[in-house]
Amino acid sequence: MAFQILLNFILAFTWMFILNSFSASTFIIGWLLGLLLILMMRRFFPGPIYVKRIWAILKLVLLFFKELWMANIQVFMLVIKPKLDIQPAIFRYPTKLKSDWEITLLSALITLTPGTIVMNVSEDKKMLYIHTLHIDDVDEAVKSIRDSFEKAIMEVSQP
Amino acid sequence: MKNSDVIIQTATKVVFFIIFLFAIHIFFAGHYTPGGGFVGGLLTASALVLLLLAFDIRTVSKALPFNYTVIIGIGLILALGTASASILFDVPFFTHAYDYFDLPLFGKTSLHSAMLFDLGVYLVVVGATMNIILSIGSDD
Repeated sequence: MAFQILLNFILAFTWMFILNSFSASTFIIGWLLGLLLILMMRRFFPGPIYVKRIWAILKLVLLFFKELWMANIQVFMLVIKPKLDIQPAIFRYPTKLKSDWEITLLSALITLTPGTIVMNVSEDKKMLYIHTLHIDDVDEAVKSIRDSFEKAIMEVSQP
Repeated sequence: MKNSDVIIQTATKVVFFIIFLFAIHIFFAGHYTPGGGFVGGLLTASALVLLLLAFDIRTVSKALPFNYTVIIGIGLILALGTASASILFDVPFFTHAYDYFDLPLFGKTSLHSAMLFDLGVYLVVVGATMNIILSIGSDD
């Protein structure tokens, strides 16, 4: 992944040296040509092509904005209701993510979508303790996080 | 139930660099735009305090083995030295010298001896702030 980006960079520079013109436009054209070459040679690289991961990152960002909108509208509906029939709860969420930055990203995404706040991470980094504003069914809440955010983060880290 | 500080530590590892870069920018921006030695020093100290919040004092002092008392001394020597260098050139105390130089990468830059004085202020602010916080925070 990092090696492919570095190779793409070197190819773009090589293109600039071949044409003997050092400008941003030449660099971008060289980058695109290098990307084409790397796509041609993708069988020889270990691991997937790096464009896949960038695409996964874009999908994660789009998913985050969608969830932010939806959840904000839900909380707005709860706020303007005359009757307060919410059911707050704290539930445990067993996470499958391993590395520190993945857990941090998942916690940030869960916290930034309204209604849910990550309160704590257990010592072995396997459990997140999440406070939620309104809950009907714990298993359903766990499942919804697992299917949306955790899946998207997994796609970024191990495509 | 024990909890882990994984979120604040990972966030600190990213945010520390951004704060430090901004502190350097603010320090160099002091001549024509808002900024300068004092604000830059406080921002640098705040980046170090963020490290202290996320990790413990022993880890941070192992990673950055500075004696902040010595840093205050170096800063004061720089500031006083810049001020008293004017005596050698037979001009009043605290007179600053400046000139334009053609540096590589930067182009035409005006270098001013006030920046050395500012560096002294910067070091004194960082040293004093960190000294206060570390002496309050440490147990021994």
